[in-house]
Amino acid sequence: MKKNDVILIAGLLLAALAAFGGISWYLAADTQKAEAVVEVDGQEKGRYPLDQDTSVEIQLEDGSYNLLEIKDGRADITEASCPDKICVDHRPVSRRGESLVCLPNKVVVEIENGQEAEVDGMTH
Amino acid sequence: MKKKYIMSAALLFSALLLAVLSRHSSFGGMQRYEATFLDVFDTVTSITGYAKSEEIFTEQVELLHAKLQRYHQLFDIYHSYEGVHNIKDINDAAGRRPVEADPEVIELLKLGQDMYRRTEGKVNIAYGSVLAVWHEYREAGIENPQNAQLPPADLLGACAEHTDISKLVIDEGAGTVFLEDEEMRLDVGSIGKGFAAQRLAEYAREIGMEHVLFSLGGNVCAVGAKADGTPWRVGIEKPRPEAQGSYVQAVELAGRSLVTSGDYQRYYEVDGRRYCHIIDPETGMPAEFFPSVTVMAEDSGMADAFSTALFVMGQEEGLALVEELEDVEALWVMEDGGIRCSSGFGIDEEE
Repeated sequence: MKKNDVILIAGLLLAALAAFGGISWYLAADTQKAEAVVEVDGQEKGRYPLDQDTSVEIQLEDGSYNLLEIKDGRADITEASCPDKICVDHRPVSRRGESLVCLPNKVVVEIENGQEAEVDGMTH
Repeated sequence: MKKKYIMSAALLFSALLLAVLSRHSSFGGMQRYEATFLDVFDTVTSITGYAKSEEIFTEQVELLHAKLQRYHQLFDIYHSYEGVHNIKDINDAAGRRPVEADPEVIELLKLGQDMYRRTEGKVNIAYGSVLAVWHEYREAGIENPQNAQLPPADLLGACAEHTDISKLVIDEGAGTVFLEDEEMRLDVGSIGKGFAAQRLAEYAREIGMEHVLFSLGGNVCAVGAKADGTPWRVGIEKPRPEAQGSYVQAVELAGRSLVTSGDYQRYYEVDGRRYCHIIDPETGMPAEFFPSVTVMAEDSGMADAFSTALFVMGQEEGLALVEELEDVEALWVMEDGGIRCSSGFGIDEEE
């Protein structure tokens, strides 16, 4: 094998690796755009990027509310006026497709974009 | 010689590129979409599927949604709907007269009779009068936790006198249903969502959806696999939220259903004690054998019914029942967090 061949192979391998790394990085970069989308009764009410800590009070016309907290890249409902508090008991969510739901208040907080979830669905 | 190297390098490069791209969610021009609605069966419905465009997916989901809304009305025991012959109509006419019933309601009730036999009475759709009492006390207790109360034992006992499923008379020729006992009430909560999920899966295929995962309040049904041919991964929720992580186990699912019955989703507390919504027909009280049991089966209606049946049985008794059945597998989560499985429950990995 000639010296030039070695250089050529090494060069191509490096290029392939760089492309692999670049594409992986590009796909992983989706995480930066992860946002919590708030819907009330099917109507979108707001979008909040997960990389900015914030606290949003989702107010309904009848005085009901859910308090959405975004902290450390995760969305969590920490307080709510509903009787069952299923939304408050739910663990924080951060991955694409995961959601927080308050059935009595018809509030859905769904994560869009971001890292792929480990599972496609949950049974409970 | 050089050409050879360039060729192999190019091949290697393409292979790497493919490997990376195949991790992305687009296959053969199919994109992944999700939809959620809250107006069916008083629970959360979510649909995940693949389609060529968002318009196509939205159209398909609208059809599924309309179908589900129809089942919601047919199986409702609290409300009447114009032009719909539902379960409430049958209950309202109990002891008085046979009423016309929708063919799909009759199918559902026949499934209920079958499941009563197959579970030795652990699943009883004629148990509605007892369930109605618990429902009322639970709702009041959730609304007003300070004054939460248990239903009086004599009231439960009196209602339990009117739960004889042989008094459910189906006349398929006439398309009517009659409850011979005027105090008897049907409640299809233990099989309704499963039945609907099974029909929905068949309907999804009819309208050209080959890769769909839907969840009717946690009754999960997989139509086919994902668009790339790999199975769907479904987590079994941890019954106790304080435990780390969200699921006890991930299950691979393609063309099958997964249904969990647990004590942690719908319950209320009286004097600091938890009373869940699944009632053991033997005692008339909420079952307390373990926090949750998950059933995997090809038919979603069977999975739903058997998850209820197993929830009101001890784990060992349930395991014995499951091992006798073909195509029904189960996973139990015990109070100490331990897991028990039937022999055919395909667990793909540790958490």
